[in-house]
Amino acid sequence: MNALSEFLASKDIWRDPLLASVIAGGLCGFLGVYVVLRRTVFVSAALTQLSTLGLICALLAEESLHFEAEHAGVQLAVSIVFSVAGALLLGALQARRRLPAEAGVGIAYVVAGALVVLGANRLVHAAHDLNAMVFGNAVAVPFSDVLVLGAVALVCALVHLAFAKELVFTSFDGETAAALGYSTRAWNGLLYFTIGLAIPAAARALGALPVFAFLTIPASAALLFATRLRTAFLVATVLGLVAAAGGYALSWIWQLPTGATMVALAGIFVIPGAIAKGARG
Amino acid sequence: MPIDAQPRPILPEAPARAPGVPLLVLEGAAIGYDSPLLEGVSLEIAPGDFLAVVGPNGGGKTTLLRTLLGVLPPLAGVRRQPAPVRTGYVPQRDHVDAYWPLTVADVALMGRYPALGLGRRPGGEDRAEVARALARVGIADLARRSFRTLSGGQRQRTLIARALAASPELLALDEPTNGMDPAAELSAMDILRDLHRQGGLAVVMVSHRLEAVANYARRLAFADKDKGLWRVGALEEMLTPEALSALYGRAVTVREEGGRRFVYPEGGGERA
Repeated sequence: MNALSEFLASKDIWRDPLLASVIAGGLCGFLGVYVVLRRTVFVSAALTQLSTLGLICALLAEESLHFEAEHAGVQLAVSIVFSVAGALLLGALQARRRLPAEAGVGIAYVVAGALVVLGANRLVHAAHDLNAMVFGNAVAVPFSDVLVLGAVALVCALVHLAFAKELVFTSFDGETAAALGYSTRAWNGLLYFTIGLAIPAAARALGALPVFAFLTIPASAALLFATRLRTAFLVATVLGLVAAAGGYALSWIWQLPTGATMVALAGIFVIPGAIAKGARG
Repeated sequence: MPIDAQPRPILPEAPARAPGVPLLVLEGAAIGYDSPLLEGVSLEIAPGDFLAVVGPNGGGKTTLLRTLLGVLPPLAGVRRQPAPVRTGYVPQRDHVDAYWPLTVADVALMGRYPALGLGRRPGGEDRAEVARALARVGIADLARRSFRTLSGGQRQRTLIARALAASPELLALDEPTNGMDPAAELSAMDILRDLHRQGGLAVVMVSHRLEAVANYARRLAFADKDKGLWRVGALEEMLTPEALSALYGRAVTVREEGGRRFVYPEGGGERA
């Protein structure tokens, strides 16, 4: 009870990080429905790695240019460029027939991962921050990051509200959509653009690995029992939001790593859906 | 029967189209992805046509259909579409992901999306059109059922209903009876025949099951990339032992019994 009181009394410290976590959790939960249904879970893993690689590149550039202060905005911008470029490239690769799409995703994932390790090895001053950025253990999120995340969430929400039927149709049955005149490449590009935009912004609040988890777990939990697509989107968004907020609060109260607590809590949400699915047979 | 319960036409009135103007044309086309699968493909689809494209698996039939519909550009030659064509498309059933949590009505409603345009949501008239399409293929009672819980035949009907919901002038189908049992296959083909006869719908379907189409199509096309074979003509002209033997590389018997045509390769019990 004392820990809870202490947590509530520290509102000024956790307000912005919690707000950022909630937005990021909800956003990733929503987009995760597409990620899971399109069987592109590892695309989101690769994009998360590319986003981290962008961050490493920005940190290396800051160190090599001897910048005294960190430029969070620049770091985020570079991460977004890497992630969006990777999203568009991987989306385009899915339309090609020379190599299985999984091969391109796998290559992007492992090469980006290797470059992250190599880049982190060269960091001198920022290395201590990197673990928190990747695993989401950062307690403080500046309000400027909350604003950027809010803007990204708004852009994604507007795109998905305006073009819901096109994005669903081209994702569900791209062959028929193409036969009826839709440019599936353009619509896939738009979908991957929103995912590529969301990942680096969400990673600033949650950490890279929790973002991957939030793009997978809430949607999987929702899809286990949802019989309507609209319900799946709604439930996945709410689960992402609750897991992020609940995980943040619990990690504060029990002095646990933030990202891991969020992911563990999200994992618990899969259980009711699995039971419901099992009961239905 | 109440006066207003007259049977509705299957399809709304087609837009005015100058007589003799085809819906789609391929002229001397080479079709394929990176290199040509078939060359010298010339084909016209007229309003009210019923064309079946047959040939072995992997013979280029689906690629031809995709080129005809404008999804793939021809590698050589010309594809023409003199005027916009309202098209309904039925993909191979296995190509549609049944994991999505969509109802039968949700899936069928997608057929209305192209006509709605960007940013517009389906309204009451769209849902009424979907209900009519589902009734037409005999699954009105399944409208609220989850697509993933349907049998193969019911899914196929749903996909046909989705194509009909577009109020098409042209219905294109890719192996619509693949994996169906004989009764379901006959039922699906009967639906297509009725739509063609009563609605004046042009039908283009590809199938590797010659017997499935021999009793329904008006025109037949043979496509086999391995033999470099492309041939199209009236059903009676194409459904001959000589023409079929050239396609399948073995003697084929065509027999008519009880008003139905049967096609057998000779020297074995297996049907073509």
